[in-house]
Order: sequence, then C-alpha cells, then structure tokens
Amino acid sequence: MSQGGDSLVVLTINHETAPLAVRETYAVADEDAVRLYELASSTNAAEELLVLNTCNRFELYARLREASETDTLVAAIADFHGKPASELEQVLHLRSGREAIQHLIEVSAGLRSQITGEVEIFGQVKVAYATSKENGYTGKALNRIFQKGFQAAKLIRNSTQIGEGQINISNVAVELAGKIFGSLANAATLSLGTGEIGEKTVKALRSRGARRFGIASRQRERAESIVGQWGGRPHTIADLETYLPEYDIVIASVGTEQAILNERLVERGLGRRDDRPLFLIDLGLPRNIEQACGELDNVFLYNLDDLAAIADENLQERRNAMPQCQRIAAQKAQLIWESLQKRGLT
Amino acid sequence: MPSETEIYLLGLRDKQWIWLATVVFASTFLLASYSALKLRRKTGRPYIVSLVSIGWILQTLGLYARGLQYGGCPLANKFELVQFMVWSTIAIYIFIGPAFRVSLLGLFTSGFACVFSILSMTVSSWDSASRAAIFGDSPWIEAHAALALFSYGVFGLLSLTSAMYLMQSRSLKRKEVVGGLFPFMPSLVELVSINRRLLTMGWIILTVSLGIGYKYFALDTDSVMTIKLAATIVIWLAYGIIFILRARRIFSSKRFSWACIAVFIAALLSLSVVTRNEKREASSAESASVSNYCDPRAS
Repeated sequence: MSQGGDSLVVLTINHETAPLAVRETYAVADEDAVRLYELASSTNAAEELLVLNTCNRFELYARLREASETDTLVAAIADFHGKPASELEQVLHLRSGREAIQHLIEVSAGLRSQITGEVEIFGQVKVAYATSKENGYTGKALNRIFQKGFQAAKLIRNSTQIGEGQINISNVAVELAGKIFGSLANAATLSLGTGEIGEKTVKALRSRGARRFGIASRQRERAESIVGQWGGRPHTIADLETYLPEYDIVIASVGTEQAILNERLVERGLGRRDDRPLFLIDLGLPRNIEQACGELDNVFLYNLDDLAAIADENLQERRNAMPQCQRIAAQKAQLIWESLQKRGLT
Repeated sequence: MPSETEIYLLGLRDKQWIWLATVVFASTFLLASYSALKLRRKTGRPYIVSLVSIGWILQTLGLYARGLQYGGCPLANKFELVQFMVWSTIAIYIFIGPAFRVSLLGLFTSGFACVFSILSMTVSSWDSASRAAIFGDSPWIEAHAALALFSYGVFGLLSLTSAMYLMQSRSLKRKEVVGGLFPFMPSLVELVSINRRLLTMGWIILTVSLGIGYKYFALDTDSVMTIKLAATIVIWLAYGIIFILRARRIFSSKRFSWACIAVFIAALLSLSVVTRNEKREASSAESASVSNYCDPRAS
C-alpha cells in the first residue's frame, strides 16, 4: 500500500468502505486489542500506535519509523486475524499525512458515522486514545494529533448543526415533551400498551428525568407484570377515563382496530385537569388516537408519521451541515499538520 | 418653569444618548437574530444581557440629561412616556430576566426596545415643543406616573413572553419544530409560569401607582381629566380581570396570552389619553410651585 511518503498513516475498515460481513471478519474484541498492539509493536514498523475499534469501524493510527513500513503493519494486522495480507489489502483503506488528521477529526465529530452526527463515537475515540496512551503506545505526534483533533471535533459539534435535533422516534418524542413541559420531573407519563416502542419511549423519558409513570394494558395482570419491569402504576385500558386526567404525556401503542382515545374522552379528561398541556404520542398502527384530539386547545398530538418526519428533517439538517463541518475539519487538519511539520514530527 | 436651554451630558445631548442606546438595541437584536436564524445557535445569555445593559445605561444617560434640561422626571409627552416604558422593560429584563432563564428573551426585548425607541424618535409630534408638566407638581403624582409606566414596562415584557408562548404553541400544534426560533424557545409550561409572575408583578405595581394617584385625585379632583382616569382604571381592571380569570382557570393559557397582548396594545393607545392635558395646563399656571422631587438637579 502506498501512502505518499508520509510517516503518519491511518488504516481503516469501516461502514463506508466495507460491507457488514467484512467488518465482522476484521473486528477486534476489546480484550484482544492488547494482543494486536503487541503484535504491531513487535514489528518495529511504527514509533506510535493507536487502535480504534467500534461496531462500525476498525482503525489503526500509526506514526511509522520509515514511510515504507505500511506493508509491515498491514501484514501484522492480517497475521492477527489469520488472513492473507493480500485479502486484507482489498478492504483496508489508507489515508496519510494531513488527510489522516482530517479523517480523525471527521470520525471524532461524527461526520463519518453511520448515523450522521451521533455523539457516542467521540467518547469511543477518547477511550481508544486513553488506552493507547496509558500503555505507552502514543508519543509526541499522536498525542498532539489526538488532543488537537478533539478540540477541532468539539468546535465542529458546538458551532454547527451536526449534532442538533434527535433522529430516532423515541428521542424525538422526548425532545418534544421537553419543549412542552420543560423539566420532565413533574410530568406524569401514561403508556397505553406494553409494546417495544412504548417501552423504548418510556425508558427515554425516564432517562430525561420523568419520574411518574402509569402502564395500562387490556389485562391488569399484564400491566402489573410490566410495572414490575418498567416501574410505575398499573391500569387497565377499560378504565382509561378515570385515570387519564392524571397524566400529562400519553404514549399509545396498542394493537387495535379502533382508536382507544377519542375526542370526547380527551375533552372530558381536559375538563378534570388544570391547564397543563396534554401531549399525546400515537405510536400505534392502526392509529390509537383520534386525529380530532389534536385540534383541542392545549393538546398536542403526534403520530408515527409526524415523529418520523421530524427525525428525517433533523437528519437532513445534519446532512446540510456536512460541507461546513468538512471545511472546518480540513482547516484544522491543515493547522495541525503544519504544527507537526514545524516540530519535525512528520 | 424649568429652563429649556440645551444641556450637554458628557458632551452629548439627551436625544443623542438615546439614539446611541437605540443603535445598541438594534445591533443586539440583529446579532441575536442572525445568530439564531442564520448560524443556528443561540448567542450566550451573558453577551446579550451585557449588550442590552450597555444600551440601557446609554438610555439612562439620555433620560437623565433630559431630566436636567427640563428640571423634572422626563414624563411630559409621548416621547418621554414611551422612552420611560422601554427603559422599564429593559430594566426588568436586566435585573429580573436572568431568573427566567429564557435565552431568547434578550432578542425579543432588544427588538421591542428598538422598535418603540425608533418610533418615539421619528414621530416628531410625540416630542412636543410646548412641553407642559402633564403629571403635575406633586412629588407623589410623579411617583404615581413613574410607577404606572414601570408597570407598563412589566406588561411590555409580559406581552413579549405571551407572544413567545403563542409562537411556541403554534409551532407545536402545526408540527413545525425543526429550525427557526423553535430550538431556542423555552417550554410552554415555563412560559406559562413566567407570564403568571409578570402579570402579578405588573398588576401590583400598577395598583400601588393608582393608590398613590387616588390619594392625589381625592385631594384635587379638578386636576385629573375624567377620560385619563377612566382609561387608567380600565387598563387596571382589564389586567385584574385577566388575573382572576387565569387564577380561576377560566382562561386557557392561549387566551391569557392573547388577552395580555391585546390589553398591552390598549395600554399603549391609552398613553395618548394620558398625555392630553387641557385641564392640567389651566391649573398648572396657578400652581407655580414646582416640586424638586425627581429633579436630577436637586440631588
């Protein structure tokens, strides 16, 4: 593999370049990473090394002793996986010099993630750096590249739309609940139905501070059983009218042919509660909540299509921000690269 | 009568200070709008509060210079009334606003200040040349006027937070929740709470103001025009009714917000009644004993 004479390289297999089957083949379990470090280090091809391994990417950052040592590293990785180097070379992508730094910044900022702008990758890169540093595999060059790269990634995340807006349905619903109620600590949530999507939404609400939950099912036993797992108070759907006014957020995901929440029921419920808003989240197919409920004053009704449309819009906003993010990444990579050249670390 | 020779404060006349303040308010509004709508990120609250505070200090200097020039509180014509109301709104935003933790309040308040300040500066008839003391000679009546206008400042801020509530509610109803100002808006429940507090504060201040005014009026019924008195009481009653209807949950948050905006517009229109002073001119000729209360030169 050729890297154009630069000693700084990144060898990568990721979702952009390889299908899932290939990524599975070359994935490195956390407990095996130490062995890969040792193997790559024993070749004496690199002065500094860093392995980044996530569900969607395997990457090896290295500062080579000689620019021509890339093949030695590739052979070490192939050896680690018990595969021929020629096979690995088919799927392994190489970036070097300034491009390798830009790649790192883009990966850290979530620009190269499968879910554009996701934030978890930043933590994963940080952990990978910390591990490599603790074990003495990083030196002046990689320390500088990663530390400055993290700053650049933070700048991108803070100054652009790349991480703004939620892009999965449960989180969109939770974000909307926040826009209606502010703190969710005082907002009582009722889950009508005990399906998976309802459970996810309840969990997402709980993670954002919601404390009071009610779980309603057709059978009381089922509600009581789910309450044991999710927490909250059990209810039966048949008694909905009696307890509906106690709740601020209603998540409906019941398998039913007929709407279980209709305008009359909601209107009566509104009359028995103070002026707090009512947020209805209809995750059912067919729909569980009559569309007319959304016309009532102080009632906000969102169904699956509404939430999906918002998630799509948010994702599009993130994608729209990509060119700006890439410009920042390129500028910062150039600055870091120049600073490395000045210090004779390239 | 106080001297009307032009007074320079730190080298500038009253209106020059107020123009400077208006430029700062306008710049703050443009910066905050550009930041939110174009850059898609909110300008930090400390920056906006600092900028608005600079504008407010400049405006204070302008009003102080005017007070020096005319020898009394600058509350003698529509220009001064509007400026004092804007000054009050900004003061509440600076000193109480941070407790609300609403990042967009600075944008709305600076926009409000900018619009009303430009309006009062450009409509020349509002700053009438024949400038009679419309609020009389008693220090108590000046206190009454100042408090009343301060309460209008609170109601001004209330109308802004009410507008925010309506915008937020509309966005959520129409499911237009991506982009625009929506990401920076506070929650509906927070806005409802802020509105309730502002209405309570404004109404109490207006009640105290009217209490002081009533004492003066009871002593000298000729000194207050009936229409002026009626307009003020109607505004006070209107806010009182909103307060009660809201407390008894008869008004929804949406109706409450619309009502607050409508009554504030009525309150602004009532200022033209307040500045009518036929009766006062007649009586003010007789009472030449000008109080030093609120006269910056007396302090």
